[in-house]
Amino acid sequence: MLDKRPLSPHLSIHKKVLTAVFSIFHRFTGLGLSIGAILISLWISILALGPQYFFIFEYIATSIIFKIILFLWTLGLFYHLFNGIRYLFWSYGIGMDLKTVYSSGYLVIILTLLTTIVVWVV
Amino acid sequence: MGKSYSSKWIIQRITALLLVPLTFWFIFHSISFQHANYFEILLFFDSYINSFLFLIMMIAMLVHAKLGCETIVEDYVSSINLNKSIKSLINLITLFMIIISIIAIIKITIF
Repeated sequence: MLDKRPLSPHLSIHKKVLTAVFSIFHRFTGLGLSIGAILISLWISILALGPQYFFIFEYIATSIIFKIILFLWTLGLFYHLFNGIRYLFWSYGIGMDLKTVYSSGYLVIILTLLTTIVVWVV
Repeated sequence: MGKSYSSKWIIQRITALLLVPLTFWFIFHSISFQHANYFEILLFFDSYINSFLFLIMMIAMLVHAKLGCETIVEDYVSSINLNKSIKSLINLITLFMIIISIIAIIKITIF
């Protein structure tokens, strides 16, 4: 054992209940968004370097793969954002009864889809 | 190291609280970035308020990401050596990204 912090339950030996799926997805999107944070740092750096470098980004941005990644990024970001707000309430012990845990979970999914559609369609 | 787990837990929540409004703010502006050219994006950083908010967002985001990734590594990487090396790498990348972001934002805003 490395240290005393209580560890998260091991993924393979637990029944996949909704709350566990939400938690796994929160970590999964968080990992992806961490790579996204690095990319935003690189974006602002290439912007600072000047137009002769920024055109590299503009070239990449026209590709369809970039658009697909950007779409998944939006989806992951909104999921992590809304579910994160839900976890912030939990940190204060609010909304932790079973009924609210499930209904707020469904609300996270609805808000994620709605905001992603608003950003990409409207 | 040296930082206790409770202080890491608190920093993770403080950065989360900062990121909630800042993310909405940044997404709102990124939509207009999609069709903007280099100079139109620079115009956004002409405003000191925008640059300041962007800087706060970047630092909060990178620190939040670092703490989150560390927790995942602690939970799922059981080899002590690998665990420590990945965490050092995360620390190094975070520090590097924070430094280049600060330099870039200062250069764009002031020069």
